[in-house]
Amino acid sequence: MPLLQARNVSKNFGGVQALKDVSLDLPESAVLGLIGPNGSGKSTLLNVIAGLEKPTSGIVKLDRKRIDNLRTNRIVRYGLAKTHQIPKPFSNMTARENVAVAVLYGRRNIHSPTPALEEADRILSMVRMGSRKDAPADSLTVQEKKRLELARAIATGASVLLLDEVFAGLSPEELKDSIQLFKKLHDELRFSVLVVEHVMRAVLSLSQKVMVLEEGRVIATGSPDEIVHDEKVIQAYLGSKNPAA
Amino acid sequence: MNLQKPGLTLYGLFIVMAFLATAALLFGVAVSSILVVLLIYAALAYSINFITGMIGYVDFGHVLFMAIGSYALATLVSYYGANPLLGVGAGAALGLVFALGIGLVILRFRGVYFAIATVVLVLAAYNIVLQLPQLGTGGEIIFNLPFQPLAPYFTIWTIVLIEIALTYYVNRSRIGFGIRAIKSEEDAASSVGVSPQRLKLIGYMLGGLFGGAAGGVYSWSTSGVSAGPAFDFTFSLLMLAMIIIGGVGTSTGPLLGAVVVYIPSYFLLTSVAQAQPLIIGLLVIIMALFLPDGIVGLLRRSNDRLRLVLE
Amino acid sequence: MVAAELIVRDLVFGLMLGCVFSVVAHGLNIIWGVVKVVNIAHGEFIMLGAYGAYFLNLFAGLTPLETAPVDAGIGLLVGYAFYYAFLHRELHNKEMITLQSEMVTLVATFGLSLFISNLAIILFTGNPVGIIYNPGILQFGYLTVPLAALYVAILSVLIIAGTWLFLERTFIGSAIRAYAQDVTATELVGADPAKVASLATALGFAVTMAGGALLTVWVPVGINPLMGALYAPISFVIVVLGGPGKMWGSLVGGLTLGIVIDLVQAFASAQIAYAAAFLILIPVLVFRPKGILK
Repeated sequence: MPLLQARNVSKNFGGVQALKDVSLDLPESAVLGLIGPNGSGKSTLLNVIAGLEKPTSGIVKLDRKRIDNLRTNRIVRYGLAKTHQIPKPFSNMTARENVAVAVLYGRRNIHSPTPALEEADRILSMVRMGSRKDAPADSLTVQEKKRLELARAIATGASVLLLDEVFAGLSPEELKDSIQLFKKLHDELRFSVLVVEHVMRAVLSLSQKVMVLEEGRVIATGSPDEIVHDEKVIQAYLGSKNPAA
Repeated sequence: MNLQKPGLTLYGLFIVMAFLATAALLFGVAVSSILVVLLIYAALAYSINFITGMIGYVDFGHVLFMAIGSYALATLVSYYGANPLLGVGAGAALGLVFALGIGLVILRFRGVYFAIATVVLVLAAYNIVLQLPQLGTGGEIIFNLPFQPLAPYFTIWTIVLIEIALTYYVNRSRIGFGIRAIKSEEDAASSVGVSPQRLKLIGYMLGGLFGGAAGGVYSWSTSGVSAGPAFDFTFSLLMLAMIIIGGVGTSTGPLLGAVVVYIPSYFLLTSVAQAQPLIIGLLVIIMALFLPDGIVGLLRRSNDRLRLVLE
Repeated sequence: MVAAELIVRDLVFGLMLGCVFSVVAHGLNIIWGVVKVVNIAHGEFIMLGAYGAYFLNLFAGLTPLETAPVDAGIGLLVGYAFYYAFLHRELHNKEMITLQSEMVTLVATFGLSLFISNLAIILFTGNPVGIIYNPGILQFGYLTVPLAALYVAILSVLIIAGTWLFLERTFIGSAIRAYAQDVTATELVGADPAKVASLATALGFAVTMAGGALLTVWVPVGINPLMGALYAPISFVIVVLGGPGKMWGSLVGGLTLGIVIDLVQAFASAQIAYAAAFLILIPVLVFRPKGILK
């Protein structure tokens, strides 16, 4: 039984059909990459799954429980957390306090600030931000803010993570670092992940399976290798021969 | 910062409160009649602090709860000869209930829209009260109680003490983290499991509860109520001024703000006192633009020791 | 008069009143729509415009119609001052108003509102004053229409149309519209965001104060320092009804409110009418947050 299931999800924004009949399965500990040209509906799909939007039709189930009619914070309690494409740190707090909020309000059962802060420290070290734990969140660099997003999502105790373009805007060095960090975290924590990305190198090296969206529809699913050579996918991306460039 | 044991700030605030209590007991009416207004102001400041200082939803219409409390006490005492303590309790209860009902509707509005909705409600309520004969059609409802100035004094003193403890506790507890998250980024707070709907409502209800209680004591100490003064937006200005000057969201801020706002006006000559709203308005503008985290914020930034200790 | 005739009369008066409400709210709409800032002291500037009309009438014999342009001129200057005092720091080089700065301007303008109104009480005393302006009436059968009300209604609509033309047809106007959509886009159009924002603010204040002058026709004995407390919420409701930033929204919201107030007043008291007008805001915000215009 897959951990996360979406069935025939459609989303209509007053005339614009952002998602058409999208279905997906995400087994435990799996990494599913979600790619597609701009406007293909990737972010909308993440938003629907995470409860930020209600699907016009279709069902989303987490661990066999329906979540498509639930509010975001309830869905977090059930074990699903999404990062923000443009990081939204709590600027009135330090990095560790940011993560502590997630520890206190996720499904961790830690309800007291002191142990929550300790746990936050631990998670920040895991994402290699231990040295910045006391920094005010708005003084962090963009990459650090993205790490903070990831730390917060992990801190909620989620078993399913939705990562919205966490690898965007990084230098080649930073990218290598982040990919490696992700692999390590995934090995240790074994969460399931839905990774929405434009940065092909990241998606293709991390995902076990990849799903491609175009104009709200799924046009291909398969292993990274299969996807790279799929005609439809190549067509969708400006007709270029090698989308993995 | 160790969050489990109460810090120096709480002890400091309790010492101030103990001082206020002893002063009243020792010097009787002379002092308590001055300080009772200070305590009422402080109670109002702490009450608006929950929704505006901590959660960041600017409640221009907070005077509504004060009016509810005032009318509750005035009608109970004047029409039914009730014990004024009952009136205060009724004010608190009604404030809470109204805050729940109103909050369920308007807390879903963000920023400006929420602020305007609170204004609109006060105006609507004012206009409605002017129509109701049960509430004196806006005219005065007065009563005559035997002279016991220490009764309202210690009632409001207790209310402020409870507010201080509650504010302090909220700031340091799990709820405090959730509230600060909401204040900063409400949507991101949801995404880590915080329920903004619940916490905002709690904050607003606490504001209503204590605003109503303070309003009751206010009407007790002025022996009456009438619509014009009860729904006066100047009170909202004072409440906002106190927390802005003192330091929004903090445990010390509202009391500091109350002292800054009230004490000078008591000692100034009448003609200058009439300019009080003018001066307060100016002060609010300056603080909002240049010192948005108030005196507490300023002190904390200027001294490392204070930053660790002052809340 | 028969019921139907009463309703017609109420509708006509409601529409004329609504036109003035519209222009009074229009300045707020412009500033809110363009600079995305809500001036809580809006009512006080309406009040100042009304007093301007009063004093110009008292000392120079000017009618409200003649005062409106003078007030507009003053409003331009006041608007620029307001922008540089309150908004420039927050807006300069920022793409979005952060929640913190929104709270700051809300509270600062609230302080300003009470500062100005209390200053007015000291300077003008609290006694209400009024202007006598009666150029005559028009008689349509049973319907008596005061020309004063008609003139200001027409002038109000002209002002709104005028601002619309300005925004649609001039280069600066399109720069303002660009700024309203996307601050960074303004630079692409070749305009300086600070200049655009300050001009929009100035324009808003000009319209507001002119509106205050025109409003005096409807408050023959009610010009007082605290009148802002009534007209500011009315303006807020109008802008929300019509949709912030939608120029014709001011007219739609204003006319709606004018009719509602006038009709309700026919059956109930003025207080209930105003209470009803204010409370309309809540369902609108719940069901149609972008205003009743699509």
